Parts: sequence; structure tokens; C-alpha cells
Amino acid sequence: MGLLNPLFLIGSVVLAVPILVHLVRRERSEIIHFSSLMFLLKVPKQVVRQQKLKNLLLMLLRLGIFALLVLAFTRPFMAYTPPKPGDTGTGDANIVMLLDNSMSMRYGNHFDRLKEEARKRIDGMGANDRMIIVGFSDAATVLATPNSTNSVWRTDKNQLKSMLGTLELSFNGTRYFDAFVTADRYFSQAPAGPRKLVVISDFQRNGWNRTSHENVIGKEVQTEMVSVAEENPNNLGIESVSADAASFTRTYSGRIVARIRNYKKVEAKDVPVTLTVNGSPMGRRMVTLPANGSSLAEFSGFDLPVGLSKAAVAIEADDPLKEDNMFVLALERREKLKVLVVDNGRKEESFQLRTALTASDTLPFQVAAVPAGQLTPEELVNHQVVIINDVPRLNDAVWKRMEELRKTGQGQFVILAQNAKMDWWGAQASFPVKPTRQIIVRQDRGQPFVSVTNYDRNHSIFKPFEKSAKLTMSVAEFFAYIEVQPQPGASVMARFDDGSPFLVESKPEDRGLIVMASTVHNLAWSDLALKISFPPLIHEIVRYLSGYNDARSWYSMGEGVPITGSVEGTAASVKTPAGERESLGDIKPGQQKFYSPAVPGFYDVQVGKDLRLFAVDPQMNEGNLEAMLPEDLLAGVQRLDEGKASDILAPNAQEEHARRSLTWWYLLLAAILFGISEIFIANRTQRSQIEPRRA
Amino acid sequence: MAAPVAEKVSNRFIDPKVLIRIQNMELVARTVVEGFVQGLHRSPYLGFSVDFAAYRAYVPGDEIKRVDWNVYGRTDKLYIKLFEGETNTKVLILVDVSGSMNYSSGAVSKLDYARMLAACLSYFAYHQRDAVGLLTFDTDVVKYVPSSRRRGQLLTILSEIDRIVASKETEFRKPLHYLAEMLNRRGLIIVISDFYDEPENIVNGLKVLKTKGNDVVAFHVMDNFELTFPFAEMAQFEDLETDRKMHVIPEYLRNQYLKILNEHIDKLQKELTSARIDYQLMNTSDPLDSGLFKYLAARSATV
Repeated sequence: MGLLNPLFLIGSVVLAVPILVHLVRRERSEIIHFSSLMFLLKVPKQVVRQQKLKNLLLMLLRLGIFALLVLAFTRPFMAYTPPKPGDTGTGDANIVMLLDNSMSMRYGNHFDRLKEEARKRIDGMGANDRMIIVGFSDAATVLATPNSTNSVWRTDKNQLKSMLGTLELSFNGTRYFDAFVTADRYFSQAPAGPRKLVVISDFQRNGWNRTSHENVIGKEVQTEMVSVAEENPNNLGIESVSADAASFTRTYSGRIVARIRNYKKVEAKDVPVTLTVNGSPMGRRMVTLPANGSSLAEFSGFDLPVGLSKAAVAIEADDPLKEDNMFVLALERREKLKVLVVDNGRKEESFQLRTALTASDTLPFQVAAVPAGQLTPEELVNHQVVIINDVPRLNDAVWKRMEELRKTGQGQFVILAQNAKMDWWGAQASFPVKPTRQIIVRQDRGQPFVSVTNYDRNHSIFKPFEKSAKLTMSVAEFFAYIEVQPQPGASVMARFDDGSPFLVESKPEDRGLIVMASTVHNLAWSDLALKISFPPLIHEIVRYLSGYNDARSWYSMGEGVPITGSVEGTAASVKTPAGERESLGDIKPGQQKFYSPAVPGFYDVQVGKDLRLFAVDPQMNEGNLEAMLPEDLLAGVQRLDEGKASDILAPNAQEEHARRSLTWWYLLLAAILFGISEIFIANRTQRSQIEPRRA
Repeated sequence: MAAPVAEKVSNRFIDPKVLIRIQNMELVARTVVEGFVQGLHRSPYLGFSVDFAAYRAYVPGDEIKRVDWNVYGRTDKLYIKLFEGETNTKVLILVDVSGSMNYSSGAVSKLDYARMLAACLSYFAYHQRDAVGLLTFDTDVVKYVPSSRRRGQLLTILSEIDRIVASKETEFRKPLHYLAEMLNRRGLIIVISDFYDEPENIVNGLKVLKTKGNDVVAFHVMDNFELTFPFAEMAQFEDLETDRKMHVIPEYLRNQYLKILNEHIDKLQKELTSARIDYQLMNTSDPLDSGLFKYLAARSATV
């Protein structure tokens, strides 16, 4: 038990006061010469004894009140004491042995020691004890398969040892909680008898998420925590890497930044960090790593061949854990997205649009412009996105071709403004809106301007606005716009603050068309093009319409890798780092399947004619071998008796701690009850006084 | 010179604490008795020795002064006047001088109170022409002054009362039996004591006196603290008779003490009353006149 305000214990000296008063009074009791003790001597001893007991009770009650008050003010809380292994029943024991095979166990001989300890536990089993061996990393797996009685419990030691031999190290991270849940599940199905849980691990702190703990292990379970951790692990590793997965230029336009971490307690000087692309060295950096600290190694300006490349950042370090010394990633040199802007051919009409899309070489857009009158259906074909910038109408053949191309994945963005012939646009069946009239805000709405204040925050085109505090949609002022009525099935992505639609997307089955109901170049209508939020809005609209996906070029072990179907439904397969090809079956257009890699490395994915590449890395945080106290872990998962608390968990279990600190209220309540009892007994004693005799 | 009536009436209820300041026992007695007498509607003096009852012929030995010379002048014969008060009563006052009588919670100890009461009764009785005697006792007879009407008897008794010193324990049986054997004439026996003895011993002793034809009056003198036991603090109580000590927490014992004391008093009262012995409980903080009333009542029954 602990005390929050131990200084209040000083108050316990008041307990001595009643006793001291009693003793002093006893010592100093005066002598009274009385006529005769005849009657006093006749008082039955029993009565005196009863009175003494009553008074003793009163004194104890008073002492109790003081003691409880003092104790209450010290704010006691019950400390956690791990459940003692003891009598948990009789009969044959049911043992669940949890064995850590996460990547961190690759450190030195940890895994060998784990197996050795496991073997000892198997040898130590009773003749009829049952055992389940569970290997765990970020998921838990029972090594045994159900036998003829559909049981995974085994009593044969040789069988258990051979199972132990099949346990292999993984590259996954550590999640203790899943392992404990698995153990609890098997305990709940276990035959009668004592239950014992053995956990053999390096008790890596990374594996325990304190905020989501739940007490899954029963308090009756006897536990044995076996640590194979080293006190001062000697490890260097790549903690993380950030890079742009795609480059649209020959020279890699982005930067590859690797954070190298020193987990040792001594400084590591001149650690070489290298970058290789397709096996060719592209850069080498020397970093000095402070004790238990990190440094960055940055690579940029190297050449990248067209297509997919296999890149790797590696450190040259002689440490017992090699797996975190290399980080692989897939890089792609891409062609830019071809965007066709169709306007009225007037000077600078599409200037803002073109500028926004081509402001930097690193932007993945290649823009061409053509007046609507010169646009032919054939010209539309070679572009991923077509932007119709405030033209009165389109040639019917062009529009028909656009409808066809939309179905093959072309994205189209129509801006309706002062030039639009509303009758024509409203007559197009596949057009998601029906324009009704022009709105001059000052005249029609009685206010100087309207803003875009209401938009679908979950839509991908608005992600930049959600991620950045600097970007806001509402800064742009619109003085005029086209009032439109969305067609059934079309979705309004953004509205003006008077409720009129601003951006409308076509219905899902006619996807790939977005309509904007105001201009971007006429400042008399809007100042949107002058605002900082304009370029990202246009970028995201174009990216979204093109289906352009900033696919991640690497994943961590344990993550599911999404494989998306191409335009035409077709078969998909994955080629593993070992060279084996695994079929994923047919994937329909837009359908997504998830692939779970088993080992780190590069994976080639073929979906129809498309070839993709992604890299898989081990859980890099596994390189952090800092261990936690096994008791600390146990305190988080094992149920306790009611009223007990764990001070080990206190930092992250405020509510639990507060609940268990409520003891002082109970003490206060007890003090009040003592007080009431004292008053009752004392009054009862006084009330029974006999009236003295009058002569 | 006679004191003003109002002053004498007020003396009737004179506080024992005031009386104790008066060292002279006779003065105490006179103060109390005269105050008491003045307060009565009918003075006892009128009833005794003054009222004419009858004449009888003179016989040798009669006092010459009692001859009625007027009758002799008319009849030439010697006659003696007989008065009512002349049927003298023998009064013996027994005072308990045991150690317990020495207890006092204030200015007046039980022994002082007993002495004053004895003095008053002696004075009163003597002036009613009764033969007055005194016997002090504890476990045995300490001092015995036989009853007499002789001149100086009152002074003798008062001086003996003045010299009383509390001594040992109380034991009723022995002195009372001694007295019963010694007394050869009936009379009034007044016992002043705190009666710290078993009720059986007290009652049996007094019964012996009663069966000898005496009228017995028992004055039970108790201190106010004995009757109320108002002690609050824990203390060592020391017995004045035996020097025995006892650790007492009054709040534990008060109830039981008072219960036992009341039972003792009730038993005494009941037993004595059934034996036709007058019993009077007297608190040392009360005036003495109640004792004198009791005496008068007993005296009238005697004569």
C-alpha cells in the first residue's frame, strides 16, 4: 500500500494524547479520605469490569476515529503485488508457453536461449501435465494442430520438443497482448486443473501498448516470466526512412532521408551509410551517432532509370542484430500526367490553371491547351485528364468521345462560368448538374460575396486542407457563380455558404467527371486563383480524376499490401523475394485485395499487363531492444483482486489509479460511523445514571 | 435579655457551617434550641413543669421549696404541688465516634454534626428536666456519662461532647449489648451514627435496647458527598477507619455505590420501623431542627 500524502502521518501523534492523558491521570490520581469503603467494596467486580470494557471500547473508538482520520488524509492507495504462484488447484497442470519469435529475438543468441529455456520447461512438466506452445510476434500462433480429439493440448514431451524445433524466427514486430489473449482463450477451454502461463521473451518495451491494456489473464493463473534480454544491448539500426516514391525526372527529384539510431550507451563514430539503386551504389555517408541517439543520412541528386527501381539504404555495423541494418524501398521514375486544357482560345484564359499545374518540375503534370473550337475527338485520347475551362458548349462528337473515354478511366473537369450555354449543358444526360442561372451575389443574395465553407472533409481532394492549418477553402471570395441543380445520384463535394453547390461529382457508375460552378480566371467572378489554396485544390482534383495514386513504395512486415485491379478486370499475382510467384486470383476493376508478405524484400506484382513493385521492410522499431520489467507487463494483463491497485501502471492508468485511491473515502466513512457509535455508547452510559438519595 | 423574636426565629434554621465556628458547645446548643423553641407555636416549656397537675401531702424528703405555702396558710397542712413535667425521662445520647464519622466534604464533618446534634439534644432535654446521659462508642464503649438531672450534668456532657475524637472502626453489637446490660431504667435512647455496619448488627443491637422498654431514636448522619457521590476524577479512596485504599474511577462505580447505599438505608429504615424504632436520615448540610422535632415526637410518646 502506498500513501499520496505521507506527511499527514505526523498527525498520528494525536493518537498518543488520549493514552497519555489516561496514564498521567492515573499517575497523578489524588488520595481522597472517604468515610468507609464498605459500599464501594460491595460493588460487584463484574459491573466494574463491564464499565471498564465499555470505557475501553469508547477509548478504542476515539482512537479509531483519530487513526482513521489521519489515515484518510494520507490518501492511501493499494499497491499492486503480483499474484503469488501458489495453490491454483489440484490435478494435472495446464501450461501455456508463450514463445517470442519476433524480429528482435534475432539479436545474438536470444532465440537459442529461448528454445533452451522452453526445453527446460517441457522437461519440468509433470507426467500428465498438458502444454500448448504458442509462438508470438505481432500475432500469436499455436504450434500444434488439433489431434484426433480436436485438442491442441499435448502431454508428450518429445512431441512438444519437436514442435519447439519447428518454431522459426519472424521479421515481425512484437504484440504481447495478442499472445495473452490466445493464452486466455486456451485456458478457458482447458480441462480442470491448475493453470500455468510461461512467457519466454526479451520483453521488448515496444511490444506493449500501455494505453490499450486489458486484464485478460485470470488471477488464478500461475505465471512464470522468463527473460532472455540483455541488460545493455549493442545495436545500431535504421529507425526510419522517408523518401518520395516517384520521380518525374531523370535525376531523383526528392530526397531520401534515413534516421540511423544508436541503441548503445556509447557513441558510435563514423558509421557508413550507403544507398544502392538496383545494386549500384548511389551514395555513401558517414554519420556519428551519440549514445542512445540518432543521426540523419540524406541522399539526393542521383540518377534514376525509367520505371521501377529497387533501392536500399544500409549501414555497415557489426552488431548482433543485422536485420535492421538495411532498409529497402521501391522507387519509380514516372511519366508526367498528361492534362489537356480546353478553353475559348482567348489570351491568358487558362493561365492560372496551367501555372498551378506546372509551377515546378517536380509536379507530375504535363499540360497542353487547345481552344474548344479546334478540339477533335482524337486529340482527347492521349490525355489522362481533360479540363473544360468555361466554354459555351462542346462539339457533340467531342462530348460523345469524352463520355466513352470516361469509361476507360479518363478524368474530366468542367468549369461552368459566364460563357457556359446552360441549355446545352443541361441537356447532356450524363452531365451531373443542370445549370439554371447566373447568380450575381450582390444583387441576388444581398451580400458582397459568398465563400466555400461546407465541403466533404473525407474526400481525397480536400486532404491538403485537412492536413494544413494554412490552407482554408473559405478564404476565396465568389462574387458570381452559376446556380446548378445536382442530378440524381450526383454528389455535392462542396457548397457556397448560401447553400448552392460549388463542386459536384458525377454518380458512381458514371465516375470521372467533376463540375465546378464558377470561374477560375475571371477576377470579377472570383479571386480563387489568387489564393494559396488554389494550386493544391487543382492538383488534387487532377490527381483524383486521373486515378493517380501515390502508391507507397514500401511497407512494413505485418502490414497488408493493397493490390488494386486495373481498368480491365484480370488476374493478379505476386513474385516473392525468393522468386516464387503467388496467385491472387482475378481482381475486378477498382477492386482491392490485400497481400500479406512473409519476409522482407522486393515483391513484383503483376495485375494484367501492369507491373508494379513494392518493398517490404522488417519492423524497424524491433531494433530498439529496451526491455520492460516482466512484472510490469504482467500487471497490465493479469486480473487482480477487487480493491488492489498497481502502482507500476500508475503513469498510464490514471482512472484505475484514481479508483483505487478512493480508499480514503471509505476511511472517512468508517471514521463517521465510529463517531456515531461513540456518541451512542457514551450517551447510553450517561442516561443510566442513578439519582442520588436525598436526606 | 430576650432576643427579638424575629432574630430568634431566624436562628431556627441556622446553618451547621455557621454553628461550627462557635467553639463553645453550650452556646451552640442554646442558639439552636432557643431558636427552635421560639419558632414553635406552642412552647414545650408550657407543657413541662409549669402546668399544675394536683396536690399531694408532704412527706419527709420532699424539697421544702416545693411546699405550697398558700395552702398551708389556709389549711395549716403541708401540701406539695405536682406539675406535669415532673415525670422525668431518662435520656441517653449515644454518639458514634468511629473513624468514619470524621469524614467531611466541607466545613462540617459528620462528627461535628453529631456533636452539635448531641449538644442540642442534651441542652434541650436538660432544660426539660430530663436526666441526660452520654455514651460514645466505636467498636466498644469509649466514654459513658450516666443520665442524671444533677446540677452540672449538662456541663459535664457538653464538655465530654467537646472532647470527642474520632477513633476506630464501628461495631454496634458490642457497645449496645453492654449498654443493654447496664441500663436498669427505661428511658429514651438517642443513637447518632453513620451506621457503617451491617444492618443486621445495627438493628439487632437497637432491638435489644428496645426490648428493654426503651424508646430508641436513630439519627443516621451522612455527609452530602456520601449520599450523592459527586466525584468525577479518578482517585485513590482511603478508608478513614481501616486506612484501606482503593483505586476508584467514580464514573464506573457511582451507580452501583448509590444503589448499594440506598438499599442499605432502605433496609435500615424498614427494619427499624418494623421494630418501632424511629429513624431519621440527616444530611450534614441540613439544619439541626429536624433532629429536635424527632426528639420531641419521641419524648411525647415516652411521657
